Amino acid sequence: MSALACTPVVLRTPTTVKSSFPCQPRPNYRTSVSLAAAPATQIGFSDPFVLQLAETLEDSLSPSPLTSIQNLRDASSESLLSTPWPSRRDEAFRFTDTSLIRQSQILPVTQPPHVGKLAIGSEDTNFSHLFIADGFLTNSIPNASSLPDGVFIGSLLSDSSLGIRDKLSSFISDFQWGDMFWSLNGLGAPDVAVIYVPAGVRVETPIHLKYISVEARESGSKVLPLSNPRVVVVVEDGGEIGIIEEFVSSEGNENKCYWTNSVLEVVIGKGAQVKHSYVQNQSFNSAHIKWTSVKQESTSRYELVEASSGGKLSRHNLHIQQLGPDTETEVSTFHLSAGDQTQDLHSRLIFDHPRAYSRQLHKCIIAHSSGQAVFDGNVRVNRYAQQTDAGQLTRSLLLEPRATVNVKPNLQIIADDVKCSHGAAISDLEEAQLFYMRARGVDLNTARKSLVFSFGKEVVDRLPHSYLRKGVEKQVKEVLERLAAGPTTGHRGRRKRSSRGSASAATRLNKEGGGGGEVGGQFAWPPKLRSFL
Amino acid sequence: MAQRLHFSSSSRPSPSLPTPNSVAASAKSNRLTFNFNFLPHPTTPTRLCFGTTNRRRLTVRPLAAAALPTVASDESVGVPGKKPLLEVRDLKAVIAETGQEILKGVNLVVNEGEVHAIMGKNGSGKSTFSKVLVGHPHYEVTGGSVVFKGKNLLDMEPEDRSLAGLFMSFQSPVEIPGVSNSDFLNMAYNARRRKLGLPELGPIEFYAYLFPKLELVNMKSDFLNRNVNEGFSGGERKRNEILQLAVLEADLSVLDEIDSGLDVDALQDVAKAVNGLLTPKKSVLMVTHYRRLLEFIQPSFVHIMEDGRIIRTGDMNTVSLLEKEGYKAMSTS
Repeated sequence: MSALACTPVVLRTPTTVKSSFPCQPRPNYRTSVSLAAAPATQIGFSDPFVLQLAETLEDSLSPSPLTSIQNLRDASSESLLSTPWPSRRDEAFRFTDTSLIRQSQILPVTQPPHVGKLAIGSEDTNFSHLFIADGFLTNSIPNASSLPDGVFIGSLLSDSSLGIRDKLSSFISDFQWGDMFWSLNGLGAPDVAVIYVPAGVRVETPIHLKYISVEARESGSKVLPLSNPRVVVVVEDGGEIGIIEEFVSSEGNENKCYWTNSVLEVVIGKGAQVKHSYVQNQSFNSAHIKWTSVKQESTSRYELVEASSGGKLSRHNLHIQQLGPDTETEVSTFHLSAGDQTQDLHSRLIFDHPRAYSRQLHKCIIAHSSGQAVFDGNVRVNRYAQQTDAGQLTRSLLLEPRATVNVKPNLQIIADDVKCSHGAAISDLEEAQLFYMRARGVDLNTARKSLVFSFGKEVVDRLPHSYLRKGVEKQVKEVLERLAAGPTTGHRGRRKRSSRGSASAATRLNKEGGGGGEVGGQFAWPPKLRSFL
Repeated sequence: MAQRLHFSSSSRPSPSLPTPNSVAASAKSNRLTFNFNFLPHPTTPTRLCFGTTNRRRLTVRPLAAAALPTVASDESVGVPGKKPLLEVRDLKAVIAETGQEILKGVNLVVNEGEVHAIMGKNGSGKSTFSKVLVGHPHYEVTGGSVVFKGKNLLDMEPEDRSLAGLFMSFQSPVEIPGVSNSDFLNMAYNARRRKLGLPELGPIEFYAYLFPKLELVNMKSDFLNRNVNEGFSGGERKRNEILQLAVLEADLSVLDEIDSGLDVDALQDVAKAVNGLLTPKKSVLMVTHYRRLLEFIQPSFVHIMEDGRIIRTGDMNTVSLLEKEGYKAMSTS
C-alpha cells in the first residue's frame, strides 16, 4: 500500500481589504512627553561582573548600625542587580573607555589604611582639614573650637552626629539619576562624612577634604584597589560654606594603580551659598570616578571650580537639580590630558523653576597624541523654568596630532521665555597670538608654552584660595615641562615659504549640537587660522 | 636739471631731538662729499650719477619740486656718513593663500637716524610691506632682497628679525588673554638680553627698568597687571605698542598706522614718545594716511606708494600737495 503524502498547499490570500473610503478618524490621543521625569529604569539583565563586584563589596563591609546607611546599601544593591556594566553603546559612555577598570581585578579596601603622620603641607593651617584615606575618615572633628556653633563636620557613624542624624536621613535619599558607579559607592562606602551647617551660619574658614589613596598596586598588575569615599554636605537656609576637595596619592604612590569611586552630595537651602573647589591630582595610572550631586533651593548659590590633571581614566559626573526659583550656578572646569589619559566631564543642570542664572565654562588641554577629553554638557530647561539665563562655553586646545576631544553641548529647552546659549571651540593655539609674541622676539617654544599655560589660567584663577592656585599652576607647569620636547608640527615660515600655522593636527572630532543630532561622522578638523589683518 | 639735495634744506625734526651732526654737516654743503666709511654693498643696480669723483654707491635722486613732473625712478638718497640700516631692493610679495601679487618691486633705503613716512591709497600695499618686513606668515616673498644691518632679513625667522633690531607696531594688535603685560614685556626683553649676551632680568629689576619707560609713554603702572591688550581701547593698544618699542629699544621701528584711532592727546603722547626714542642711530618708518602725525614726527622722507611700488619720494611739501590734490596728482601715468 502506498501512501501518498500530500502536503496540502495552502494558499494564503491577502485578507486585508482596503476600504475605498477614508478611514475612521482615529481617537484623539494627546501624547505628552515629560522630559522632567526620571530616566526609564533599565529593564536589564544581571551582569555577572557587576554582581560579583557587588557581592565582594557587600562581603567586605559589616552591616551598618545606622538605618540610613543600611537603607542606602539595600537600595544600591537592588539597583545593581539590573545594571549592566556601561558599554560603548550606552550614550553616557559612548566616548569613555572603561576597560581600565573592567579588565582589572577589583579589590575593595576593607580596612582603614595605616597612614603615617598626615602632613598638612603648605596650606593654610587655619583651614579645617578632613582626611579621608581610601574612603575611611582618619581624624576626628578637626579644629572643633574654631567652628561656629551647630556646625558639624565628621563621620555619620560617630556619636557626636546623633543630634543631626534625623535631619540627615531625609537627605540621604534616593537619587534617580545615578548610574552604576553611584550604586557601587552606595553599596561599598564604609562611612559617610558629613558637613552640616545650620541655618544662617556662615563658616568663615573653608573645609579642606583631602582624599588620599593609600592602597595601590604596581602599574601593569591588573589589580585595582577600590575605595568608595562618600560625603554629604547639608547647608540649611542662609548658611554659607566653602569646601575644597583634593584627590591625591599618598607618598610613593604617584605612579601606582588604584580606583577611587567617590560621591559628594550637596544640599543647599534657601538663600545659602556653597563655594566648591575640586582639585584632582591622582596617579597617572589610576581610575577616578566622581559623582557630585547638588540640590539647590530657591535663591541659593553654588559655585564649582575644578582642575583635574591626574588619573588615567578620570570622570566627573555633575548633577545640579534646581528645587526653587532664582538660583545662581557657576561651574568652571579645567581638564589637562598630558599623557595617555582620558578626562571626562558629564554635567547635567536641571531647571524646573523660573529665573535661574547659570554659567558653565569648560576648558581642556590635550597635550599628548594619545590623550583624550570628553565633555557632555546637558542643560534641561523645563516647562516652568521661564526667564532662565543659562550659558555654556567649552574651549579645547588640541596640541598634538591624533589628540582627541569629543564635545557634546546639549541644551533641552521646553520653556519659551529663556535666554540660553552654548558655544564650543576646538583649536590649536591661535596663530595671531603666536605671531605677535614672535614678532617681539620671543621664540616659538617659549611662546607656545606661555600661551598653553595662559589658556588654563582663566579657570585656575577662579580657585578662591591662592595656595590651591599655586599648587595647580605648579602641577600644570611640571606636566607641560615634561612634554617640553615641543609639538611635532611642521616647520614655520621660511624665506620663500609661507607657514600656514601649525601643521597636520589631524584631529578626530565628534561635535554635536543641541538636541542630539549627529553632525557628519568623524572628519579631520584643520587647526583654526584666524585672519588678523 | 633736477634739484638735488632737497633734503638738506628740509626742515629737520623738532628741537626735542638731539641734532644729528651729519645732517648739519650736509646742510652746509651743496654738493656731495665723500667719506670712505660706508659699508660695501653686494648689489648695485643702475643709478644716476652726478659729480666727478667716485660715487659707486651714492646717487642723487632727482626729486621733484611741487610743480615739476615726477621722474619715476625709485632710488632714495644716500647721505654721506650715514650707514644704511634697511635696504629693500625690488621686493615682490604675494598673498600666500591666493597667490595674488601685492608688492611689485619696492625699492627703499633707510639710513640710520632717518624718519621715513609711507603714504598711499588703500590697497596700495603699505601695510603689506610692513608685514612682509616683519615676516608675517600670510605673505610670501617672490623676489627681491631685504638687507637689514648688512644681513639678509628674509632668511630670518620673525623672532630673529625682532632680536636683530626690527620692531613693527601692528595696525590692530591682537589680545592675549592670560598673559599679563609685565610678563610679556619681561619675556621679550629677556630674549633680547640673551641675544646680546647680557644676563636676564628678574621681575623686580625689570620693573625698575620698565618704570621710566612707562612715564615716557604716559601710562599708569596698573595696566601692567592686565593681560596683553585684553579690554584695551584702540588708543591703549597703540600706546602699548609704543611701550614695547621703548622697552625693546629697536633700531628700526616700523609703525603701521600708529595714528589710527587715537585722539589728539593720545597722538601727542605717542609722538612725543617716538621722538624721544629717536637717536642718530635709530630710524623710524611710518605708514600713515594723515598729515597730522607727520606734523608731530617730522619725516625726512615721504614716500608715496601705489600699486605695490614706491612711485615718488618727497618731503612735507609732497604731503601738502597730496592733501590739496589727492593721489591722482602723485600718479605718474
